[in-house]
Amino acid sequence: MKKRFTDRISHIFLSLILVLTATFTTAQDVKNGKALFNANCAACHKLDKKLIGPALAGITEKRDAEWLHKWIKDNAALRASGDADAIAIFEEYNGSVMSAFPNLSDQDIDDILAYTADVPEEKVVSTDAPAPAEVEDDNTMFLVALGVILFLLIILMVRVKNTLKQVQGQPETTLMEDANVITRTALKNPRIMTLITIVIAVIFLQQLFVALNKVGVTQDYQPEQPIAFSHKLHAGDNQIDCNYCHYGARKSMESNIPSANVCMNCHMNIQEGPNTGTEEISKIYAAVGFDPESGSYIEDYEQKPIKWVRIHDLPDLSYFNHSQHVTAGGLDCQTCHGPIEEMEEVYQYSPLTMGWCVNCHRETKVKVESNDYYTEMHEKLKEKYGKDANITVEMIGGLECGKCHY
Amino acid sequence: MAENKKYWKGIEELVDSEVVNNARNNEFPAELAADEFLGNEEKLGESSTSRRDFLKYVGFSTAAATLAACESPISESIPYVVAPEEIIPGEANYYATSYYDGHDYASVLVKTREGRPIKIENNKLAPINGGANARVHASVLNLYDATRVQAPMIDGQEASWSDVDGAVKKGVDAANASGKQVVMLTSTVLSPTAQKLINEFGAKQGNFKHVQYDGFSYSGKLDALAAATGKRALPMYNFAKADVIVGFGADFLGDWIGQGVSADYASRRKPGKNMSRHIQFETNMTLTGSSADKRYKIKPSQIGAALTALYAELGGSVSGGKTSLSAEIKAAAKELKAAGRNGLVVSGTNDADIEAMTIAINNLLGNGGNTVDYSKRTYFRKGDDKAMDQLIADMNSGNVGAVIIDNLNVAYVLSGNAKLASGMEKVATKVYISEKMDETAKLCNIVAAKHNNLESWGDAMPADGMYSIMQPTIRPLFKTRQMEDCLLKWSGNSSSYYDYLTSNWNTGILAGSDWNKALHDGVLVSTSKVVNEGAEEGESKGFIANLFGSSEEETTETTDDGSVNLSAIAGRLNKGTGSGMEMEFYQMTGMGIGTIANNPWLLEFPDPVTRVSWDNFVTMSASDAIALEVNNWHVSNGAVNGNKVNITVNGTTLENVPVFIQPGQAQGTVGLAVGYGRNGAGKAADGVGHNAFALMANGSHATSVEISKAEGEHEFACIQLAHTMMGRKIVNETNLDTFLNGNPAEWNEKTQFETFKGPLSADETNLWDDFDHETGHMWNMSIDMNLCNGCGACVIACHSENNVPVVGKDEMRKSRDMHWLRIDRYYSSDMTEEVADEEGVSAIDKFAAMEHPSESPDVYFQPVMCQHCNHAPCETVCPVAATTHSSEGLNHMTYNRCIGTRYCANNCPYKVRRFNWFQYNNGSQEQFNVNYSMNDDLGRMVLNPDVTVRARGVMEKCSLCIQRIQLGKLEAKKEGHPVKDGDIQTACQQACDTDAIAFGDINDKSSQIFKLKQDPRMYHLLEEVGTQPSVFYQTKVRNRA
Repeated sequence: MKKRFTDRISHIFLSLILVLTATFTTAQDVKNGKALFNANCAACHKLDKKLIGPALAGITEKRDAEWLHKWIKDNAALRASGDADAIAIFEEYNGSVMSAFPNLSDQDIDDILAYTADVPEEKVVSTDAPAPAEVEDDNTMFLVALGVILFLLIILMVRVKNTLKQVQGQPETTLMEDANVITRTALKNPRIMTLITIVIAVIFLQQLFVALNKVGVTQDYQPEQPIAFSHKLHAGDNQIDCNYCHYGARKSMESNIPSANVCMNCHMNIQEGPNTGTEEISKIYAAVGFDPESGSYIEDYEQKPIKWVRIHDLPDLSYFNHSQHVTAGGLDCQTCHGPIEEMEEVYQYSPLTMGWCVNCHRETKVKVESNDYYTEMHEKLKEKYGKDANITVEMIGGLECGKCHY
Repeated sequence: MAENKKYWKGIEELVDSEVVNNARNNEFPAELAADEFLGNEEKLGESSTSRRDFLKYVGFSTAAATLAACESPISESIPYVVAPEEIIPGEANYYATSYYDGHDYASVLVKTREGRPIKIENNKLAPINGGANARVHASVLNLYDATRVQAPMIDGQEASWSDVDGAVKKGVDAANASGKQVVMLTSTVLSPTAQKLINEFGAKQGNFKHVQYDGFSYSGKLDALAAATGKRALPMYNFAKADVIVGFGADFLGDWIGQGVSADYASRRKPGKNMSRHIQFETNMTLTGSSADKRYKIKPSQIGAALTALYAELGGSVSGGKTSLSAEIKAAAKELKAAGRNGLVVSGTNDADIEAMTIAINNLLGNGGNTVDYSKRTYFRKGDDKAMDQLIADMNSGNVGAVIIDNLNVAYVLSGNAKLASGMEKVATKVYISEKMDETAKLCNIVAAKHNNLESWGDAMPADGMYSIMQPTIRPLFKTRQMEDCLLKWSGNSSSYYDYLTSNWNTGILAGSDWNKALHDGVLVSTSKVVNEGAEEGESKGFIANLFGSSEEETTETTDDGSVNLSAIAGRLNKGTGSGMEMEFYQMTGMGIGTIANNPWLLEFPDPVTRVSWDNFVTMSASDAIALEVNNWHVSNGAVNGNKVNITVNGTTLENVPVFIQPGQAQGTVGLAVGYGRNGAGKAADGVGHNAFALMANGSHATSVEISKAEGEHEFACIQLAHTMMGRKIVNETNLDTFLNGNPAEWNEKTQFETFKGPLSADETNLWDDFDHETGHMWNMSIDMNLCNGCGACVIACHSENNVPVVGKDEMRKSRDMHWLRIDRYYSSDMTEEVADEEGVSAIDKFAAMEHPSESPDVYFQPVMCQHCNHAPCETVCPVAATTHSSEGLNHMTYNRCIGTRYCANNCPYKVRRFNWFQYNNGSQEQFNVNYSMNDDLGRMVLNPDVTVRARGVMEKCSLCIQRIQLGKLEAKKEGHPVKDGDIQTACQQACDTDAIAFGDINDKSSQIFKLKQDPRMYHLLEEVGTQPSVFYQTKVRNRA
């Protein structure tokens, strides 16, 4: 109930923002401009800072719109026509050539320019709405409420009892006195004591068994990483493909932890993040030696590798190959790694025990139809297990010791 | 005079204090006041810490400490900062490069993981020497040897490179100023670019000499070739075209002139009408002699006479020498004559006369351009003994101002020459470009720390028109520099050797080919003939003026200048008396001349013929041993011990050399391997064996010796205790005629068992249910006994691929070797079932006699690894199911499940299971630390990350390289096609130059392995046991009656 209520509030809040945004929209569609800017311009330009090209905030005040249209559509042609301003800019930026954008319509360019002119308001709009406070876990709330009710119930019962006693003319007893009497009687009764001992012993042994089974199992291990990298932000909100950074997973045994140069592909331009601002991103710069002010790499910088803390660590005695599962098996990363796109901080989702591996091999169907590797084998397997049998990993030898242990 | 000294124990005693007095009087204080404290209950009760509390504290602190220790350590995962484009973590990269250490040359592929070279493989694209030998395969380990010179040294002190450059320049300038020689002393320079650079460096000096010297010299052979053909270079031998091969002391399958001929040789050794015939005359029992169809023992001094006799038999007009083998020579001559230009005679010594006679014989056969090609030369050996002698003389007379030594441990290979050390003392500047602080380094004042092969750029021209490139596969580990970069610096050239190399290739060698393609392939066959600047092209002169012409021509003419006279040569050759004890030096397969001696894999590698590791020794025939009263015997733990002898050559004595009795050793001769007895090679090699070079004079491969018995016993690490097959079909053998015309059921008889159903084969009589071998893959391996020559490259490749531990000599003695793949060697015995039947020998006498190998035995090499039985005896006895059968016909071994009962090993009829008696890795036990491949951080970089490093107490064995099978299947799955035949190769198969090992899926009916399984030669090892192995062998066929 409560959750639904907060949801509703957030919906209202969001619609409010949308309405507010709409009121800022002018003839030039700033929102469209922003999208176009991010898609086409952001690689080289920022609004407030020089990057590869100049800062573009308020560019419309410096140049007239017609000139800008010509420049954006085909700056080389403009330069060739001998436009002094264009040549001056070209030389100012050491002759780095800006791409031509013949695909942008005049309306598109107007929208982009509107966006660049619209900075202060945009900032207000773009400020994230304060996220609705996280709702407490429903379960806990329920238990707390239940506890309170039970406590009230006990007090109520004691009251009732005392009232009854009062009616009978017996002396009243407090709650504590009652508790004392009950405990003492119980402790003196050997049967109850035996029962309690047995119960405790069984619970202890069961817990010990569970605990011993967890030796070496690091499920839910969630260490603090040197950089507060958020998979939720990157893989979840921004929908970056896992394989973009972990490019080894498809090809290799290892799903590599991305090297800092992969981070730099985007973070050369994205110098500020929504969660921690520049704080965490600057750690990448410190590793590779990048100066965000000048937007260039520092020469002869002694690079400092980032020491991530390893979470998933199979023992050396077992061989695991990512590409086998990702490419050949066609599994999603989430099958083993869980809802990684929702994790602010990564934890080990699966137990990574042999039982867990084996169980999956028993249940998972092999995609025999879509891979010519299996064609001949599949015919034989059909003879063996029946025509319509689901071929599991187990049936093609996936439970044999030597397939993983060598 | 009365002494009045006062002794005091401490400064306190000087002051007469009460404390000191008390202490002095009560030297032994009354017993501790424990009773006073513990006995007094009242006092004890008052104590704030009761006994219970004390126990509580103890208990709590122990528990707390335990809990605190429970926290698992944080492991870090550190990616690259900027990842190299070509490296994907977890994926292996292969680079083609060349290996050359001054002795061995091969064109190889280097497997790297995350930038670390971890294995050397054969480069199948190479037109020459694409099959690396055992030493080259093992050389990857030497890269990670922590005893390499890690920084340049001047006078034993670490120095900077600029200091070294300064000192060398100063020394060279001083030599030039005083008009003295500047000498570059190297082993054979195989690289045309390095040679160019040396010449350029020389041109800048006033008086420069470049001396090339080979540790195991073939200078005499080269001199004869120079006289005969006008060029001091070796011809290209083409064994693939030879119908009849006659070898005179030429161990061409083992160590000869550097040209790898085993693949060519093997291509004609497959049984069939095309099979070549090989007759070998030799002294020591070599790999080549072991493979021969006929092998005759001959003393080194008799080889010359045998050659002249052969020449005379073939119709040459010289007086033939007298040998005890005249009938055999006559027979060989007949066969050679029949073969004509498809015949080939090769000799192996460093004697110009012998080579001259060999050339004359080959010329008579008219095989020039066919089996021996003088127009296409190889350059593996260029060393000149005379130039070396001259250099030593010059040094002693003070004419040499500076010497720069590269790639040649001259003090070791010339340790028999006392003049070298005295000469070196008179040279002011002695620069040694070296990876090791070895024997030569001790004589030099500047040691320029050198790159390993795998860290260097380079090239090689092994033969005319054949080039290969050496490229680095790792950044230099230490502060080292390669020879070429040193020379560039020292000749004032500021470019890097890489630039120098590429420009030399682009301007000459490539001749329009693509550098990147050549670099990718590692080899280039160029049509443009760039003259190797080391050997001058000259006009053909000498006694074979018409070498490439008709064979009919008489070739005994002397030349105008009379430099060569064949009759005179024959006269000299016929003088060999053959009396007295002679010794032939040889190179052991694992050690060569000791260039990469500090390699525990090679030291532990059992010599293929003797099966002894961690040693060199005198090989002696049984009859000589009896005469000398020396013997080999077994001690209680099964190991072999032996007597020792003193060997004297020209007054120099090598003492206490152990004797190993070698069947097939020529009577009146002994053999002694070079490459051992090192000092300064590193902790694994130092002090192992005896230095045979100390006895070698003038680079001669054979000498007369005096041998006397010495005191004491020697402990051998010989891992094969039974030398014969005791009449069993372990190696099935037949001759070519029977093979071609006989019934396979007779020469490859299958054991039959009498049952109530009639006679059945072992396969058909069994207790067990069969596994399903029709579905999916069924991996099989075939080993061809005809193609295997015992070279052992597979053993080292297996070592390197599967992280096989090294156990050391003491453990080897206890038969605790860990090799997953061993090459068993068997000798034939004079006693056979047939002989016993004929002569009516009793069963007991027969078996007793069968244990003794013949004095001139046939030799068999049989690689044995886990046979992957489909009815495996090991699987049924494992109490924890640690060894199980796979659906693909493999016998899996799960280390983490093994509890070490060793039942499986006891139940294995092939004895291929290996038990980890100790923790051989992680430096946990001092005795195994010589194996740096597992015991120090640097050495561990060589380990294959795909294979577990086994812990103490578990069983291990060959997995048929399951990591490669799994990878091959995965690649096929990823690409969506069935596994192609040949895509999956085991490490031993890849290393096998002769294709003796084949591997594949027999469910693929088009595969090579399927055909091999149907071959009539196919048999299983110990077939009668009924284990139904997945590994099978091909019957050995010798080409003789």
